[in-house]
Amino acid sequence: MARDPKYDILFEPIQLGPKTLKNRFYQVPHCIGAGSEKPGFQAYHRGIKAEGGWGALCTEYCSIHPESDDTMRVSARIWDDDDVRNLSVMCDRLHQFDALAGIELWYGGPHAPCMESRHNPRGPSQIPSDFEVNTHPRYMDKDDIQLVQQMYVDAAVRAREAGFDIIYVYGAHSYLPLQFLSPYYNKRTDEYGGSFENRARFWKECLEKVREAVGDDCAIASRFAVDTLYGPASIEVGEDGVRFVEHVDDLVDIWDLTVGDISEWGQNAGPSRFFEENHEKPYTGQVKEGRHTNKPVVGVGRITNPDTMVRIIQSGQFDIIGGARPSISDPFLPKKIEEGRPEDIRECIGCNQCISRWEIGGPPMICTQNATAGEEYRRGWHPEKFHPAANREKGVLVVGAGPAGMECAMVLGKRDMEAVHLVEADAEIGGCVNWISQLGHSDGNENIFRGTARGLGEWKRIVNYRQIQLDKLKNVDVHTGSRLSTQDVLEYGAEIVIIATGAHFATNGLNPATHDVIEGADASLDWQLTPDQVVKGEKSVGNRVLVLENEGYHMGVSIAQKLAGEGHDVRIITQRGDVATYMEYTLEAPMLHRDLHRLGVEIHPYTMLEKIEPGVCHAYNVWKPDHKEQFEVDSVVLCTQRLSNDELYHELRSDKEALEREGIEALYMIGDAAAPRMIPDSIFDGHRLAREIDSPNPAMPLPFIRERRLWGDVTNQDYESMLQNTPDVEPMVVAAK
Amino acid sequence: MSGVLVIAESRQGSLRDVSLELIGAAREVKEQAGGRLAVAVIGAGAGEHADALGADGVDEVLVVETPNEHFEPHVHAAAVEALIDEEEPTLVLAGHTIDSLGFAPALAARRGLGFASDVTRLAWDGGPVAVRGGYGGKVDVELDFPGKETVLLLLRAGAFPAVEGSGAARSRNVEVQAEPRSEHLGFREADTGDVDITKAEFLLSIGRGIEDKDALEQFEELADKMGATLSVSRPLVDAGWVPNARQVGQSGKTVKPKVYLALGISGAVQHLAGMQTAETIIAVNTDPEAPIFTVAHYGVVADLFDVADELAEQF
Amino acid sequence: MKIVVPVKQVAVLDEEFEVLEDRPGVDPDAIEWDLNEWDNFSVEEALQLREAAGDGEVVVVSVGDDEAEEGLQACLAKGADRGVRVWDEELDAADPLAVAQVLAAAVEQESPDLVLCGVQSSDGVYSATGIALAEHLGLPHVAVVKGLEYDGGGNTATVERELEGGLVEVLRIGLPALLTIQTGINEPRYATLRAIKQAKEKPLEVKGLGDLGLDGGAVEAAAGSRVRSMSHPDTGEGAEILKGSPSEVAARIAEIVKERMSG
Repeated sequence: MARDPKYDILFEPIQLGPKTLKNRFYQVPHCIGAGSEKPGFQAYHRGIKAEGGWGALCTEYCSIHPESDDTMRVSARIWDDDDVRNLSVMCDRLHQFDALAGIELWYGGPHAPCMESRHNPRGPSQIPSDFEVNTHPRYMDKDDIQLVQQMYVDAAVRAREAGFDIIYVYGAHSYLPLQFLSPYYNKRTDEYGGSFENRARFWKECLEKVREAVGDDCAIASRFAVDTLYGPASIEVGEDGVRFVEHVDDLVDIWDLTVGDISEWGQNAGPSRFFEENHEKPYTGQVKEGRHTNKPVVGVGRITNPDTMVRIIQSGQFDIIGGARPSISDPFLPKKIEEGRPEDIRECIGCNQCISRWEIGGPPMICTQNATAGEEYRRGWHPEKFHPAANREKGVLVVGAGPAGMECAMVLGKRDMEAVHLVEADAEIGGCVNWISQLGHSDGNENIFRGTARGLGEWKRIVNYRQIQLDKLKNVDVHTGSRLSTQDVLEYGAEIVIIATGAHFATNGLNPATHDVIEGADASLDWQLTPDQVVKGEKSVGNRVLVLENEGYHMGVSIAQKLAGEGHDVRIITQRGDVATYMEYTLEAPMLHRDLHRLGVEIHPYTMLEKIEPGVCHAYNVWKPDHKEQFEVDSVVLCTQRLSNDELYHELRSDKEALEREGIEALYMIGDAAAPRMIPDSIFDGHRLAREIDSPNPAMPLPFIRERRLWGDVTNQDYESMLQNTPDVEPMVVAAK
Repeated sequence: MSGVLVIAESRQGSLRDVSLELIGAAREVKEQAGGRLAVAVIGAGAGEHADALGADGVDEVLVVETPNEHFEPHVHAAAVEALIDEEEPTLVLAGHTIDSLGFAPALAARRGLGFASDVTRLAWDGGPVAVRGGYGGKVDVELDFPGKETVLLLLRAGAFPAVEGSGAARSRNVEVQAEPRSEHLGFREADTGDVDITKAEFLLSIGRGIEDKDALEQFEELADKMGATLSVSRPLVDAGWVPNARQVGQSGKTVKPKVYLALGISGAVQHLAGMQTAETIIAVNTDPEAPIFTVAHYGVVADLFDVADELAEQF
Repeated sequence: MKIVVPVKQVAVLDEEFEVLEDRPGVDPDAIEWDLNEWDNFSVEEALQLREAAGDGEVVVVSVGDDEAEEGLQACLAKGADRGVRVWDEELDAADPLAVAQVLAAAVEQESPDLVLCGVQSSDGVYSATGIALAEHLGLPHVAVVKGLEYDGGGNTATVERELEGGLVEVLRIGLPALLTIQTGINEPRYATLRAIKQAKEKPLEVKGLGDLGLDGGAVEAAAGSRVRSMSHPDTGEGAEILKGSPSEVAARIAEIVKERMSG
């Protein structure tokens, strides 16, 4: 099929300094957990998007020197020639697909605690990071300024050598250049502080020096938070924001614009829970609208819809569509538009699970919608290619069409299994997504800070995408409204049976804090509810509500938000120091807390329930259990933990004779049914089983490649020269491999 | 064989509007068909409708009183057959309606008539030429009827312009002998039950443009007033305001109503896939470039609330 | 009780397709085939009647080439007992009346107690084949049935006929009879993998016109029309833009709506 001409504008090339960007699809810098020390992951992840048509792919933030070290968070590094070697693999991979490679040169200042390098970061003034704990920067005198600027230049030269086409001087999210520009960080009284020109000087000089060093060969980019959202205390778009753009416009070949600071960078990587598509427009859109630049502008805003993209360019808001999360969710978004099949686009749902793994510090990135994100290299998975299964003549029955079941059936279908039947008890497929996506609303009012509690409706895209794909697969039959008994499964006629029957909330208060039930907890009573009962409206909820939040992700607070928004008097208690601690990692926490406070929800941390009685809950402080508290309640919502719906599986498994008699050769269980987990992990589980359905033992995942240094690579001679110093330890004898 | 015979339709004592559309269509081809246009009305109390059918150009109204009070397909087929034998028309026109589906194909089969149903355009080229849809409406098909002395066509309701009755034509009673083969037991209004938007003939569809969940009630009321069923585009289901059963689109339902009135729907590809074959699409959107306008038959660039307020006055 | 259910494998056209130049038709590569949606409901209704009666036979019959095998197999997998496919080259351009003539010959050989057809096919949308078939078989008939209750004692069926605007007519008819079945009358069952496998063992006869005592000439004569040409529909120049104040526009919209919804 052919591309719809209305999308032609997205495929027009545009000049970035000495480089030509072949289309308007630009993956802005984003973290994945690869850095320079997992070159396979780095090259293959960025590379898959280049294959999918993205015109430019950037690294994550890339440290220019050991003084800029964000461990445990994983950044890229370009400190030496070995880093050049590792990063050049990414460049080669991208060039193979005619995409440009970008590198975001980063110096974190006080925001980078240097826990690995043990260097001392420098900063414009000696104020610790508002984001990290106890990280004071060393005050930069003029020599230090020259020193650090030289770090940028050296890094840029290395970057060019590695093959990068676009080289960033990165100031957004409030790293060093913006720390000089912003009075929030810069209290200096010399010519690098005070007036606008003074505050802009450091950044300007960096751009001049980097441009002089590599500007003839590479496009010079700058990532700039045109509004850090701190008001006059920092950068405001209408003031220093557009002024700075004009001030250094000649030095830049492409502007990459964002909003927000690092401590609340969820204002930039806005979760769908609070921000709609293209949400940064009121800020970043001002730059071109006010004609403050003569250079191409790329901006973001979780832009996933091709029609929105066309509108953004036609209206002059940006020249280039920036996407991080949309590119993770669908590396082949550009190709699908080009091939005239935009309905196949797997849209980002804005859950920020990808970000959460990196925020935790260490784990590789994941994606709810795209189970292959992060697995391109280490498992060899391609989001659009699936080699046919060796055992495809075997009939498959998948019981349950929730996230795991839908994904498994879809991938099995794409692997050319001859006959896959996906059977769902409810009237619609989608499982828990159908009710969870109804959460996230509060009272519909404007939040304090730019967004609204607009709900998790975009999470429904999990179902929409799979519905469309399953419809297209001729070898997959989907049957809804059919609850299968053990006998039905035995007689179904499938050789492979996959149980994906999900999980339910514990109704008796069983919880991870005490590993026990709670006296009086019983969600079969009409004044006690589990979260799904609240959403499905199966029981009425009284005015005074207590929500017991033991899980740590969003369920408890989403319920609190919903009920408070509907006018209930809500108290939420948790055994931890804070509610919904995982939401720190998804960047949803600040807006969520604002909303909970605005709604008057009472939060009680370090608190657990020991007994529930009609009208009153008995609580205690976890540090001092004899410190008791009573809560008067009309209803209680138990969000303690979930339990698998695994009876069907165990009944089948226990009757091996019956399985054999009916010709069932393999029985598997995936998703919440095996163990309750987060949605992306359920989808991954279903995906993995389908990818490995023809391996010798599909129940056990195949090994994946771990990128690590193997002993024997470095001989004694290398060791000493690598140290650039005489070792005092006794070196071991290392035989070369 | 010459002339046109129109079979009017009535139900529960009222003449149905399609009858006047059939006369309108017949008038266009009357001369080529040989000059005479007769309109038949069949059923108990059929005589009451004679005046309403006597439009300009109608030469005669044939009243066939039947003993059975309500439509019965076998009686109706026999009645029309008798009229064909008496009138010897070249062309017989009836509406593509539920009643017609009951008798027309049987009659066509019995007498080897030329036949086509759901005809949307009518022309003449030595004989009738009928246009209808093919492949589920994705193509236009032009049919002719070589060797058929009499052609029976069922015209799509709403596709041809209606005429006004003037009471001018003379009318004549015709006797017909016919036996029913089914027994009428009664009528019943349909259950409301669960909403099935694929069955609705008129959908009032709202989208992101309504902006606020609170506005939903206003549109529910408007739909009721207009006699429409409320349907929505995906964003409202995503937002949790409306159940998926009302969603029109690729991952919701595909609908093909007679009228699809879209308020504040931009027309994403996935939505268009679910409604673009609707017979009449009217779209209201503030964005003149909204993709919905590429499939709409009528477009309005305006604020949907302004239009909605005025629409409420019209019904 | 013996119930015959004529079914049709319908053509589903891709979004993008070419209309042929040399003869009326579309590029066959753009066509996918599927069992007519209405037939799921007529087959289900037949299966439920057979189950209620305790015994009986459900026979599915289709006029179609090889592509129709899949649809018949699907019906057998759902529980139909036997299938009959009729095909001859001459039937390639057959219209509903010609098909009805051929079906009549095949169905007559079965001597059914009840014949259930779908109201219409999703590709042709004629809504004619069933009732034309009834005429050839000499059976009493009701079109567009949305409810059905069989009274074995009296050998009659009480049916609900779905009329415009949501009105329902209730009537009674004696068997043998032919009914055309509307979607939504029941909830069609689906076939398990085992049933699909077992269906391959059920009898599926293929007959030609000769087996039915028909010849091509008679079939051609039975056709009610001839396709003169086929073309892409007139999409026009996009929407007719209605101008004016909101109240003017609303009045015009109301006019259009009332016009379209009449008849």
